[in-house]
Amino acid sequence: MGFTRREFLGACVGGAILAASGHFLWRKFLRSRWQAQTFIAKVPGYQADIATVICEGLAHLGISPQEIKGKRILLKPNLVESNPASIQINTHPLVVRGAVEAFLKFGASRVMVAEGPGHCRDTLRVLEESGLAEVLWEDRIPFIDLNYQDAYSIPNVGKFSSLTSLTFPAILRQVDLIVSLAKLKTHHWAGITLSMKNLFGFMPGLYYGWPKNVLHYAGIEEAILDITATLRPHLAIVDGIVGMEGDGPIMGDPKPAGVLVMGRNLPAVDATCARVMKINPYKVGYLKRAEFVLGTINEADIVQVGEPIAAVATEFKLLNYIPSQKSLRMGFWGKFI
Amino acid sequence: MIDPVVSESINILRKRSLAEGGFANTDNGDYRTDATAWAILALSACGLDPEIISRARSRLASGQLPDGGVCISPYHPEVYWPTPLAILAWSQSAPQQDSLARAVDFLLDHSGMSLQEQEKSPDASDVTLKGWPWVAGTYSWIDPTALGIIALKVTGHSNHPRIAEATRLLLNRQLPHGGWNYGNTILFDKELRPMPENTGLALDALQSLTARSNLELSLDYLKVVVRNLRTPIALSWGILGLGAWGERPVAATSWLSECWGWQARFGVYDTASLSLFILACRLSGGIESLYRLAP
Repeated sequence: MGFTRREFLGACVGGAILAASGHFLWRKFLRSRWQAQTFIAKVPGYQADIATVICEGLAHLGISPQEIKGKRILLKPNLVESNPASIQINTHPLVVRGAVEAFLKFGASRVMVAEGPGHCRDTLRVLEESGLAEVLWEDRIPFIDLNYQDAYSIPNVGKFSSLTSLTFPAILRQVDLIVSLAKLKTHHWAGITLSMKNLFGFMPGLYYGWPKNVLHYAGIEEAILDITATLRPHLAIVDGIVGMEGDGPIMGDPKPAGVLVMGRNLPAVDATCARVMKINPYKVGYLKRAEFVLGTINEADIVQVGEPIAAVATEFKLLNYIPSQKSLRMGFWGKFI
Repeated sequence: MIDPVVSESINILRKRSLAEGGFANTDNGDYRTDATAWAILALSACGLDPEIISRARSRLASGQLPDGGVCISPYHPEVYWPTPLAILAWSQSAPQQDSLARAVDFLLDHSGMSLQEQEKSPDASDVTLKGWPWVAGTYSWIDPTALGIIALKVTGHSNHPRIAEATRLLLNRQLPHGGWNYGNTILFDKELRPMPENTGLALDALQSLTARSNLELSLDYLKVVVRNLRTPIALSWGILGLGAWGERPVAATSWLSECWGWQARFGVYDTASLSLFILACRLSGGIESLYRLAP
C-alpha cells in the first residue's frame, strides 16, 4: 500500500505547517522568558542634573532603595584613551559623578569607580587627562585600576569562544552590584560599542595585554558574549549625551544624541541603544547571538519606559569602508523587529 | 646620596618585600613576578638591600618554567611577558646565571604571531614582522617587544637577528608624525595618536640600534608632552626614553618630585610604578645605564 501523490503533498504541507507552528510557539516561549525593560531619558547636556535622571531611571526600572541599601557598587566607565578635546571618546566624568550620587542617594554603602583601559598602560594618566581624576578627587570617590590588580580565574560560562576560563580582578569578589557605565559609540571592529563591549575593560591587562589581544584572537563577538555571560553585570547605564559616530571607538566624530539609556539586561540595553542610533540590532553580530541566550533584543519584548525611541532616535554615521559597519543600518523591515 | 623622595619610595618597597622573597605589588598583597623584577632593578639602582635583592632573585628563579619562561602567575604559563624583566633582574647575579641563560633562550625561541600581508588590510603596519607578545599565541606589541630588545642587549645579544627584526618592527610601528602607542599606526586610513609611556619605552629600546635621524619626530613629541606628565608610568618612561638619547630634561627632578606628591590624589603607587619612578630618578640615561653604574 503506498501513498498517492495527493496524500504525499498533503503530508508535506501539513508537516511544514506543524514545523512553522512549532518554531513560532518555541520563539513565543523563548520571548516570554526573556522580556526586559529599558529606560531612556532625554538629557540636553552634561550640566543637567544627571544624578536625578539616573535616580528616575532606577525607579522606572523597579530598582528600589531597598535593593541598593547597604550594597557595594562598582561603576565601570568606558575610558579608552584620553584626548581633552574629544568628549565623545570616554564616559563623561559628570555622568560618572551623577551615577555615584544616585547610588549613594539610594543608600549604597560604598560606590567605587574602576576601569582597565585597553590601550593605555598608564591608567592614572588617562584618568587625569580625561578629567575624571578631578571629579573622583573632588568627590572622594575611590578608583580601582582593574589592569594591575591581583586576579582570579573562573570557567568561561558563555563558551562562545574557545577560552576555557576568564580572569577577573580581585575587586569583583568584593562588590555586590556591577554597573557597566558605557558610552554610545560606533566601533570599527564590532560595529558598535555599548554596555556589553564596555566589559572588556574588566579584563586585566596583566593577563590579556595592551590591547587585550587575547580577546581579539578569541573572536571579538565571542569574547563580548563570554564576558557578559560569565560576569553577569547587574545594570547598564549608557552615556549617549554626546556619543561617537563614524570611525569609533577612538577616531570618530562627536554625535550629540542627548540621551541616557539604562536597563538591567545588557543585550536589551544595547539593542535599544542601537535603535536610538538607527542601527538594526539584528545586524549586529554579538547582539543577534545574544538573543534568547543572554537576553532579548526584540523591540516587542522590551518594555520601553521614559522617552520612546522614536522621540530620540538619530542616525549615527556609518562608514561603508569599515566592513563591520557596512550593513548595520535600520532598513524598512528593521523598524518592525 | 639618596634623594629624600627616593628614600621614602624605597621604604615603601621594603614594606612590600615578602619574608619568603620577592615583592607584592601593593601593601599586604600577594607575590607578583613583574613587581618583584622591577623592585630588584630599583633597589639595584640605589645600591641598597643586597639581601632583599638576593632573596627576590631566588624567588623569581623558583617560579621560572621548565622552558625558561617567566610568567605572571603559575596558573597562566602563556602570559610570559615578564620574561625580559626577569632577565634584567638576574643580569648581575652570579647565582642565577643558569636561570638567566634559560630565560634568554626562551626569549630567542618565542615570538609574537606573524600574520600574512593582506591586500586591503585596514592596518597599515607590516604584520609579518616578529617581536614579542604579551601572551603566547598573540600578536607582537610595542612594550613587550621593547622590553625584549633591552633584555637581549643587556645580555650581550645586540647583534642577534631577533633584535634586528624587533628593531624593524619598532621602527615600522613608529607613527608618521612621531611617537608610538601600544602598537598600531594607521587604521582605516587614520593615523592614531601616540602615547608617552610607549614612546619612552620604544626610544629606550632603540638606543644604539638606529640612527637618531630616524627618531627625531618621536623625540620632539616626547620632549613636548613630558612637560605635562605627572603620573609615574608615563613620566618615568618619558624621562628614561629621552635620557637614553642624551635628552634627559633639566626639570626632570622637579617633575618627579611633583609626581611623588600626586600620591595624595591617587593613593600610594604600586610597586611596579614606584620602582620605575625610582629608576627615572636615579638613572641619567635609559634602563641600560643601570648596568653601567659603579657597584
